[in-house]
Amino acid sequence: MASPFSSFKYSDGLTVVGISICTAVVCEAISWLLIYRTTSYKSLKSSIDRASKKLETMKTDSTVTAAPKKSKTKKIDRVETSLKESSRDLSLFKLKSGAVVALVLFVVFGFLNNLFEGKAVAKLPFVPIRIVQKMSHRGLNGDDMTDCSMAFLYFLCSISIRTNLQKFLGFAPPRGAAGASLFQIPDAAKTN
Amino acid sequence: MKDKKSAKLNLQHKQHQNGHLSPSTFAKLLDLEASWDKDQLGDVLHWIRQIVALICGLLWGAVPLVGGIWLVAFLLISSGIVYGYYAIILKVDEEEFGGHGSLLQEGLFASVTLFLLAWTLVYSLAHF
Repeated sequence: MASPFSSFKYSDGLTVVGISICTAVVCEAISWLLIYRTTSYKSLKSSIDRASKKLETMKTDSTVTAAPKKSKTKKIDRVETSLKESSRDLSLFKLKSGAVVALVLFVVFGFLNNLFEGKAVAKLPFVPIRIVQKMSHRGLNGDDMTDCSMAFLYFLCSISIRTNLQKFLGFAPPRGAAGASLFQIPDAAKTN
Repeated sequence: MKDKKSAKLNLQHKQHQNGHLSPSTFAKLLDLEASWDKDQLGDVLHWIRQIVALICGLLWGAVPLVGGIWLVAFLLISSGIVYGYYAIILKVDEEEFGGHGSLLQEGLFASVTLFLLAWTLVYSLAHF
């Protein structure tokens, strides 16, 4: 029995989207299993939320007064340092489990690459800039830069679907942690 | 009085921790007198961008509108809608929420990829 989508020239694009959706769900399920349901993650996340809200309030109060006290500035620095440390711990915690998710994504990408190598899975309604063409025209023959490779479509699917799925499920990283990186060393002088 | 305010804040915090837009958030969408938590406002602006991205992508692909200029048009339209919502409808003080940049970049990258995905898919399936 023929698929209702087989009459479309670019029905492979739908296959890529479908596989991306399934992969995103599987990745979030793995992340939930290894990260989000653990008490360490929950306590780190709530301490980041608390610290960032406290920091916001303290900074707002200090901008209102003309000359903030030295002790207040020290308190702000201490909360900032604590926030950076918690954010770094959260990044490290997620890194270990993120390796499993990365492996799944790698395997799925390899599978899709084998399936659609050299084949245009969609038609772009614009000509991408040169640097994007390296991904959008990856592995395709010919000079038509509006031919879309699996890699580019998969990239669009991954970012849009995973980001929104994480947001919808409440797994998006806390805003307070956005500025901190894994390799940020807290200022020891400020801590003391 | 202080206990009531802190209990209310705790409830808002727990509702937001679930990551979902709670019924109270939806009720606040057009309430001009409502006070906004930074996270709640950020989430609402994120979802506004995603909805605009999906609608624009489907429309642009169906017509079809072709050319990179329409990506720029989408960026201007979605940013205009987000700006109009928080600055004109809600009239929030953007300084309290990290400035215009912080509010305008909520969900921006995800919305661009969602828009490109919808635009490309509809264009490819409907016109070839």
